[in-house]
Amino acid sequence: MSSCEFLFNGDVVASVLEKDGENLKVKVGEKEFEFRSLGNDLFSTTLNGTRTDVAVVKHKGVYYIDIDSVLLEVWETSEDTFAGGAGDLVGEKDKVFAPMPGKIVKIMVKVGDEVDEKQPLVIVEAMKMENQVNSRARGRVKAVNFAPGDQVDTESPIIELELPE
Amino acid sequence: MDKLFNKILVANRSEIAIRVMNACRTLGIPSVAVYSDADKNSKHRLFADEAVHIGPSPPRESYLDIEKIINAAKQTGCDAIHPGYGFLAENPAFAERCREEKITFIGPSPEAIRLLGNKIESRIKMAEAGVSIIPGMKSTATDMATFEKAAEEAGYPVLIKAAGGGGGKGMRVVERSSDLQSAIEAARREAKGAFDDDTVYLEKFIVNPRHIEFQVLADHHGNTIHLFERECSIQRRHQKIIEETPSAALNDELRNRMGKDAVKVAKAAHYTNAGTVEFLFDESGHYYFLEVNTRLQVEHPVTEMVTGTDLVVEQIHIAAGFPLSDQLANLTQRGHAIECRIYAEDGENNFFPSTGSIIHYSEPAGPGIRVDSGMQAGMEITIDYDPIMAKLVVHAPTRKLAIAKMIHALNEYKILGVKTSKKFMIDVMRHPDFVAGKTFTNFIEKNMSDRQLDMDTYKEIAVAVATVASTAPAASQKSTERGIKGAPPPPWEMIGSWQIGDSIHE
Repeated sequence: MSSCEFLFNGDVVASVLEKDGENLKVKVGEKEFEFRSLGNDLFSTTLNGTRTDVAVVKHKGVYYIDIDSVLLEVWETSEDTFAGGAGDLVGEKDKVFAPMPGKIVKIMVKVGDEVDEKQPLVIVEAMKMENQVNSRARGRVKAVNFAPGDQVDTESPIIELELPE
Repeated sequence: MDKLFNKILVANRSEIAIRVMNACRTLGIPSVAVYSDADKNSKHRLFADEAVHIGPSPPRESYLDIEKIINAAKQTGCDAIHPGYGFLAENPAFAERCREEKITFIGPSPEAIRLLGNKIESRIKMAEAGVSIIPGMKSTATDMATFEKAAEEAGYPVLIKAAGGGGGKGMRVVERSSDLQSAIEAARREAKGAFDDDTVYLEKFIVNPRHIEFQVLADHHGNTIHLFERECSIQRRHQKIIEETPSAALNDELRNRMGKDAVKVAKAAHYTNAGTVEFLFDESGHYYFLEVNTRLQVEHPVTEMVTGTDLVVEQIHIAAGFPLSDQLANLTQRGHAIECRIYAEDGENNFFPSTGSIIHYSEPAGPGIRVDSGMQAGMEITIDYDPIMAKLVVHAPTRKLAIAKMIHALNEYKILGVKTSKKFMIDVMRHPDFVAGKTFTNFIEKNMSDRQLDMDTYKEIAVAVATVASTAPAASQKSTERGIKGAPPPPWEMIGSWQIGDSIHE
């Protein structure tokens, strides 16, 4: 038996998983579901008395789900999910990446600044929307590798931090 | 087998290119794909025997570039070209270039394409042939007096249409005479911009009709037949999304009459190969000739399902000069077929186009289920082309069973990574008016506009699914990597993530 927590539609939702041979039992609030794995990212369950096959793929901390043709997204609650963008490598909290390829609109810090965890550092524009990138750790700005107006991909760190020992 | 062609170039992409190549394979004819930069890793490229790169992603520089297509055909030794639908399929200049190069264009003659592409000329021609046309003007005019007179005769509401095009451009509905002049001016401007031709004309506006079309085949020996109707009334933004055959509105008497008129239309235009004669069918059971689509239609599979034919194979036979085969003379409609077009667009958000990578893809299968698709896992959906991803077609003994089968097949069709209109399609299939066959072109506007999906009813099951998926990280991880290794995540995923991430930490 193990307990999990996810985000759905802005709410934190807890669940309990129990393995019973090939069957997977999940309790969410008052409701209980039983699943069987069909392989290839597919599971079967029974909803309102009808066998239903669901597809689910996890990608970058998000579970993409198709249940009866309804497309749903469930998010992991772990810290790394939200902090990293495409460069969310564990243990690389000293590097700040763009969440998607785009244009840097604003850089809010300079070399030598002390920053707190979750402090806004950079704004990247993509698809005509501005996206704020926050620090994932407390530390001091070691390098700023781009300037406003620059195009960035998701592989090159925009800002590098020096983390406290 | 009789000699047909040495090699066929397919001047199109995605699902229809693959559909045509399947017919070539059936006949043992090698096929050649053409592809743009965006389609470098596409399924249609790999499905052909050979492939020729024809340039950058914008269609104008690749799929619409006549000389590049002709050169690709010559370079690979093709003696025929199939244009699919869209792109160059209804371009008379392209059909003419093929003729000059002695490459067979698998479609009608440039003369027929040109005649039927002009809405006014084809109206006149079909009225002469004795087919009923929508009341209205039979010639172009520039003076208001002529338009006013025609509007009075037809009776308001009237419709202003561009002579040179379709797709809703240069089109205006006019309810009263005081709005006529401004509507004509606006339609002219729009037509000029879209088709470089500001010729417009006026006809009666048929309120809430059904859209019923007839498939025709005509060979080069004077034989023309029809393969019954397709009803395509379920449309959004003047674009068909669900098609079926037979139509719930027709009885045998009407079907025969309309079919004969469709053949009359094709003969009047000296039409050859496959074509579609479109009619509007009004509430009182009158029908009017609308236009001819001089190509294979997107929705051709429903006809194939109920008649047991392969229309592309027939197109190739006809183009090679063979007469229509005897078995085509005695076709019947067997059972009922429905097609749903699967678009990369958000059915829950006003059909907003959706882009991204396909991270999971699995097709439904079973008796009477057909998927015409250009998709595979790992594929990028970009904004370069029409958002049609696939067509899901079902065939069953009755309409009721076909609807049930379609709902099941839509649910079994799993596409993750881009938004689709699957759920919307299911809601149409379940709507009492659709079930009752009350399908008119205003169906979506009338029945679906205040439709809403309450996400919170899915909260528990969604989280439960995520929970079981989290215990099987290996399978999920593997497919993700296979799908999109090295590619950046779709931006819409990331945008959501950041918003929610911020709120949880504060």
